[in-house]
Amino acid sequence: MKTARFRQGLIASWSGFLLLILLWQFISSVLITESSLFPGPVQVMRSTMQNLALTRLLQHLGISLQRIGLGFVIGTALGITFGVICGWYRTLGSVLRTPIELVRPVPPLAWIPLAIIWLGLGESSKVFIIFLGAFFPVFTNTYKGMTTIEPNIIRSAQMLGLKGGRLLLRVVVPATLPDIATGIRLGWSYSFGCMVAAELIAAQSGLGYLIMHARELGITAIIVFGIVLIGVTNLITDYLIQELILKRRLRWHFLGTEQA
Amino acid sequence: MNTVNVKVDVAHVTKQFDAENPEQGLALSGVSFGVRTNEFVAIVGRSGCGKSTMLNIIAGLLDPTEGEVRINGTPVKGPGLDRGMVFQHASLFPWLTAIENIEFGPSNLGVPKDKRRELAQGLIELVRLKGFEDKYPRELSGGMQQRVAIARAMAMDPEILLMDEPFGALDQLTREDMQHELLRIWESHKKTVLFVTHSIIESVYLADRVLVFAPHPGSIRKEFSITLPRPRQKSSTEFMRYYEEIYEAIG
Amino acid sequence: MRRSADRARRGKRKGPTDLQIKLVTLVGLLVLWESLSRLGYISPLSLPRPTRLASTLWDLSVYGFPTDITVWLHIRATMSRIIQGYLLATAVAIPLGLIIGRSYLLERGTNPIITFARSVATISLLPLAIAWFGVSELSRVLLIMYGAFWAILTNTIQGARSVDINFINVGRMFGAKRSRIFFRVILPATLPRIFAGLKIALGISFMVIIGVEMIGTVEGLGALIQQARFFYKSDMAIDGTIFIGVLGLILSVLLDRVERLALPWAVGLEEVKR
Repeated sequence: MKTARFRQGLIASWSGFLLLILLWQFISSVLITESSLFPGPVQVMRSTMQNLALTRLLQHLGISLQRIGLGFVIGTALGITFGVICGWYRTLGSVLRTPIELVRPVPPLAWIPLAIIWLGLGESSKVFIIFLGAFFPVFTNTYKGMTTIEPNIIRSAQMLGLKGGRLLLRVVVPATLPDIATGIRLGWSYSFGCMVAAELIAAQSGLGYLIMHARELGITAIIVFGIVLIGVTNLITDYLIQELILKRRLRWHFLGTEQA
Repeated sequence: MNTVNVKVDVAHVTKQFDAENPEQGLALSGVSFGVRTNEFVAIVGRSGCGKSTMLNIIAGLLDPTEGEVRINGTPVKGPGLDRGMVFQHASLFPWLTAIENIEFGPSNLGVPKDKRRELAQGLIELVRLKGFEDKYPRELSGGMQQRVAIARAMAMDPEILLMDEPFGALDQLTREDMQHELLRIWESHKKTVLFVTHSIIESVYLADRVLVFAPHPGSIRKEFSITLPRPRQKSSTEFMRYYEEIYEAIG
Repeated sequence: MRRSADRARRGKRKGPTDLQIKLVTLVGLLVLWESLSRLGYISPLSLPRPTRLASTLWDLSVYGFPTDITVWLHIRATMSRIIQGYLLATAVAIPLGLIIGRSYLLERGTNPIITFARSVATISLLPLAIAWFGVSELSRVLLIMYGAFWAILTNTIQGARSVDINFINVGRMFGAKRSRIFFRVILPATLPRIFAGLKIALGISFMVIIGVEMIGTVEGLGALIQQARFFYKSDMAIDGTIFIGVLGLILSVLLDRVERLALPWAVGLEEVKR
């Protein structure tokens, strides 16, 4: 929609963004005297390049992505599996949901100390926290999707001769996909937050560790750089998941609801 | 009723649902009727008279508490490929295109791709939706969705077509179009049709026989044979007379 | 669904209710846990048995852990941080959100900034806050505020933007001035969405504070479980975790009640998916 209003809006967006960067630079170079504590964008880049080798940075980034990838995949797989099982078999579902819903109000971060007691200080404790972050939203949304399918869709399928496992796989699960997709998006966000927190609190590597360590060394620029990098990575991965994976597969759901 | 020709035999069907008040739960009580092969039977009545329940029992989606339904002499034990059903809201599978929805039943039976594509294409043309094969349900209007729903049910070539207020959610003009379409399809493909509706006009327009159901408990109050030749004129005096008689029977 | 589909066909709706099954399962699990522990199948060090957890609960309430800091003091510390940060965030985010929401250009202009700020992991700001303000209550409260702020802001903006134009037209038809329209029409229409944001923000605040308390403090529920970890006291850690869960639940129920009081006409609106 190339209306004048749309173009104005676009200009406003870019201006707002540039204004912020300029403001940031202004405050840091003119208003603040203790410049090492409030580095401007230019200084952040310079200082980081001086003090942090690219290879080290990429290593940390890689480890973080690896952790979150692993935790997220396991969490999503189990979340969908249990969500489907609990939605399909009602009694078993009530049984399984009891421990799940008891644990759900506890934020995944709160499990960090116990995870360390049980799993040690290695990778598994962090992956566990990330797994928890992904599991609950995926499970909850999958279960909700399973239990709110339009009944006539199931009846139509039954009339066409489907039942049992076939009914589940060829009709019920596809009908639940939009809710599963919502769960996956949420699960990724939570996983990401859990990853950063777990690395800040209890790790010796990864982006979270990087910024905590930079504070100990007193290099504020790297802290800022790390924070921005985490934010940007979050944005990019969220975009990738939404656009490429979800929208492609779920074209049929989003038709006519394209966001501007 | 001439038993040789009976396709659907409903015998003393009673349906009791669990409810606080046993009277409330009695949806159907001792309902009996027959439907001949290739007959078009309409069921009309007020809300709560059990017509949808009756249809669901014949479909095999519900079990009767007492009594039984026999199709070609065999008791109904669950849904079967001899019966197809169309619901008020098309309930198409949203993740499949129109043609894929139609192909769904045959693909489940293992019919090879080219054969079922051919079959589905033929049905698309039958319901006059050529050009819309690759649209998703979300992109189709209510009337179009119902056409796909009808084609989807027809793809299994059922002997019996069960329709639960299929045009109830459509606007008046589309509804009338669909009534013509349905008659056209029925006349060319010869199926036994059981059609539930709220609309007396619709029932008189479409059916060979109209069964009037009454609630509390659900049962057949009266039966009408519509002997007018088709296509019927909704404004003719005979049509109006049927309308009035049925209206009175509903009460 | 399969079983219930079969049952639905028969028209029966009896059978154990969801709640009954859950209660039985809960009791069953506790009994199983206790027995396995007593029989020696579960190490009491890593997973203390329920009866032990109950007695530790008593210690926590009366004697405290670390010494003299009872669980109630921990809860008070955590709550005070959440409340301060949360209220600060609300006080700024709601008015700001309403203003931005009513102006297309403002909304477009602030959109990139807000989108980016939201993707910054709140807890990643902790080292920065420590560098600037030291390990202090101020750092913690500011972090909570940051976490809560963006959720409330974005939901308020969305709410203000999407006020049904018909509502406004009706207001105009009644001859209301702009400011009256604002307070009597736009604000109430936006409230459900604002509440959705408030609920999300509460969840976020809660998560953030637990994480923040694990660094540099001994008071607070997050600190409690972290301390328990240092001393390998798994019973304290589990009890603390249970408290965290219960507190989280209470907070969200409270907020639900407040919403129901404030917006009795809006019960059951769809939850915002962020």
